[in-house]
Amino acid sequence: MESSDNAEQGGSEQSDSQRRQQLDRLDREEAFYQFVNNLSEEDYRLMRDNHLLGTPGELTEEELSNRLQQIKDGPEQPHNEGSGSEEASNGDTLLDWLNTVRQTGNTTRSGHRGNQSWRAVSRTNPSSGDFRFSLEINVNRNIAEQQTQTEAERLEGDQVSPDAAVSEAEPPMETAEPTVPPRRGQIRARSPSPEQRRTRARTARSRLPVNLDQLDGLPQVHNGLPSHSHEPVPEAQVEGSSRTRLHVLSRQSNIQAEAQESVEAAEAPAAPQQGDAPSGEAGASGRRPPTIMLDLQVRRVRPGEYRERDSIANRTRSRSQTSNNTFLYETERGGFRRTFSRSERAGVRTYVSTIRIPIRRISDAGLGEATSLALQSMIRQIMTGFGELSYFMDSDSDSSDSNRGSNPSADAADTPGNPGTASASVVAEAPVTSAGGSSEVGASETRTEEREGSAVPPQARESRPRPRAPISLEETASLPFLRLAHFFLLNDEDDDQPRGLTKEQIDNLSMRNFGESDAFKTCSVCITEYAEGNKLRKLPCSHEYHVHCIDRWLSENSTCPICRRAVLVSANRESVV
Amino acid sequence: MQRISRLKRELQLLNTEPPPGIHCSFSEENLENIQAQIIGGSGTPFEGGVFNLEIKVPDRYPFEPPQVRFLTPIYHPNIDSAGRICLDALKLPPKGAWRPSLNISTVLSSIQLLMAEPNPDDPLMADISSEFKYSRAVYLEKARKWTEKIRHTEEAVCVLQGEGEEQQKGPDEERCGKTSRKREALSAQENLEQPKRSCS
Repeated sequence: MESSDNAEQGGSEQSDSQRRQQLDRLDREEAFYQFVNNLSEEDYRLMRDNHLLGTPGELTEEELSNRLQQIKDGPEQPHNEGSGSEEASNGDTLLDWLNTVRQTGNTTRSGHRGNQSWRAVSRTNPSSGDFRFSLEINVNRNIAEQQTQTEAERLEGDQVSPDAAVSEAEPPMETAEPTVPPRRGQIRARSPSPEQRRTRARTARSRLPVNLDQLDGLPQVHNGLPSHSHEPVPEAQVEGSSRTRLHVLSRQSNIQAEAQESVEAAEAPAAPQQGDAPSGEAGASGRRPPTIMLDLQVRRVRPGEYRERDSIANRTRSRSQTSNNTFLYETERGGFRRTFSRSERAGVRTYVSTIRIPIRRISDAGLGEATSLALQSMIRQIMTGFGELSYFMDSDSDSSDSNRGSNPSADAADTPGNPGTASASVVAEAPVTSAGGSSEVGASETRTEEREGSAVPPQARESRPRPRAPISLEETASLPFLRLAHFFLLNDEDDDQPRGLTKEQIDNLSMRNFGESDAFKTCSVCITEYAEGNKLRKLPCSHEYHVHCIDRWLSENSTCPICRRAVLVSANRESVV
Repeated sequence: MQRISRLKRELQLLNTEPPPGIHCSFSEENLENIQAQIIGGSGTPFEGGVFNLEIKVPDRYPFEPPQVRFLTPIYHPNIDSAGRICLDALKLPPKGAWRPSLNISTVLSSIQLLMAEPNPDDPLMADISSEFKYSRAVYLEKARKWTEKIRHTEEAVCVLQGEGEEQQKGPDEERCGKTSRKREALSAQENLEQPKRSCS
């Protein structure tokens, strides 16, 4: 008090204006509450989900109603949560779709491009936040080598952007990896060009570390990578253990911090068998018109849970029509493994995250190589996406909710300082990609130890996904793929940061209006007494809050602010921390 | 901003019904920087000392915890030489236990409690912590000595300021520029090493 007195006297003039501002703000706050009270539940949700509400006192009532009007008029502008802003740039239908999915939950969509057609279905379980996504891609292959180049690539392309978007996107990628101009070719490793070799060598190296991590004990067959020939591998014998890994390192410049993530996916497919004869692939590839099915199930992992058993588990299924084989890849240990560590230094945060996805092949039936390749690449892509998760998360967590949705990148920028770090493009995918690219990346990402492992079949995935990833990060050149990744990422919340509930989960909580007869109570979030007509939300533990207060908290956290009981526990989550 | 109206309410409460042993001061125009004083509890080695803290209220408060730092040197396993405090209520979940139903007052009370009951299992100052665990008498003695020094150096009753090595100074720093010297002197006397911090 003494200090406050002094201060007041000292700066009474200045404080005058400030006081006025504060008064204004208080008025607006009042108006805000009024406004929220008068909103229908539907409108409230609409506004909240699009982050239009801001914080009490931030906007006048008029502005709020304008916003409401706008959102109603132009439904669903790219307010999509995750990637809205970025997306706009490429007319990437798949991505758009994904965004829709994100909002609505369940959807089906299909499209085609060139030889390929795709169909995607997604379902979300609102109560648990689990997500399931399946993607089916049909590819009619021409013998043309190019096509053959990589099913995976195609797949990617398809997925990403049915339109030309892909091609456009590519250029940036190239820049990223100068060395690999003919990505595809390289990727496929068809030609034993020196470059490829290089990459391989690299990968091998890099892998080593990886192997150590995950695969101990497992035979590490890296060779397999090259063998993506479409020919059905005669001997499915390949040990199930053979694995390919994907490493995706992404640096995100936007985020102040650099997020490096490596994703390793081990793919059991026949890769090893073929491994040595890359050339074979090409020929084979031409022949088959495979259908690729990807079935991805994403499970939300609650905080605390992820360390032991990581998250996002999935199951991938690939089927090649020709052979009628169905392969099931399952994660070895129940899912991705994700390790997250972070260190903070003067204003700069570094995130290192590794996602490991060991996938084992369950059935030994012969696999069409092509299929497996494609699959691999898809997985990689997706994985890549995951890799970016942390990125998103970070930005999300740092920035206020309201910003979140619209432009992640902006948020990131806001985040406390790591201006310095931002490396713009970031994503370096590891070794696999092009040697050149990787090297660059490597430099930047010194930290990631994980790179090593990009055991992933070098051939395919690499270059593309990676570049994209980085790109995506950057707004300018966002690659569709990344988007995909984002999408998934968005579904999974941050590791390190507090995890919140999904909108669906929040909406499932009961709500009521505060009535006259209610006892005099206070919302413990804003320390304001409830007024008649206020919308309250009641958590399973029976604690009540203003809807807008608690929703904001729950979007980032999962416990009751008063008793700290997990909000979902009673509902449908068994494993809440 | 939600935090402002909430802060106002909180601070009003703090003024009218402060928790025992705790004082808060703030200025109307700078609500996000609050100075607080905790009086060393009787029966603790901090008895007789007045400990100054600075509280910074983040923009996202109450969805984010306030940042609290000791300005007055204190010999404590969970408080480092820069005044940072290792306390779960000051961190967000899942690591921490901050929640919006807590407030400045409860946080200060927790800190007060922490002063009386260090938590050597989650140490910020490893050395002090092991001292606390294995040679309590030494710890108590040192802590008392530190408290003593504060009292001596405190004849001029002015709000202590941190040395400001990394934090900005409070609004009224001119009034007590000497405190930073005090603090440095104190550290020098004790030949304070900077133990590793295991508590992030």
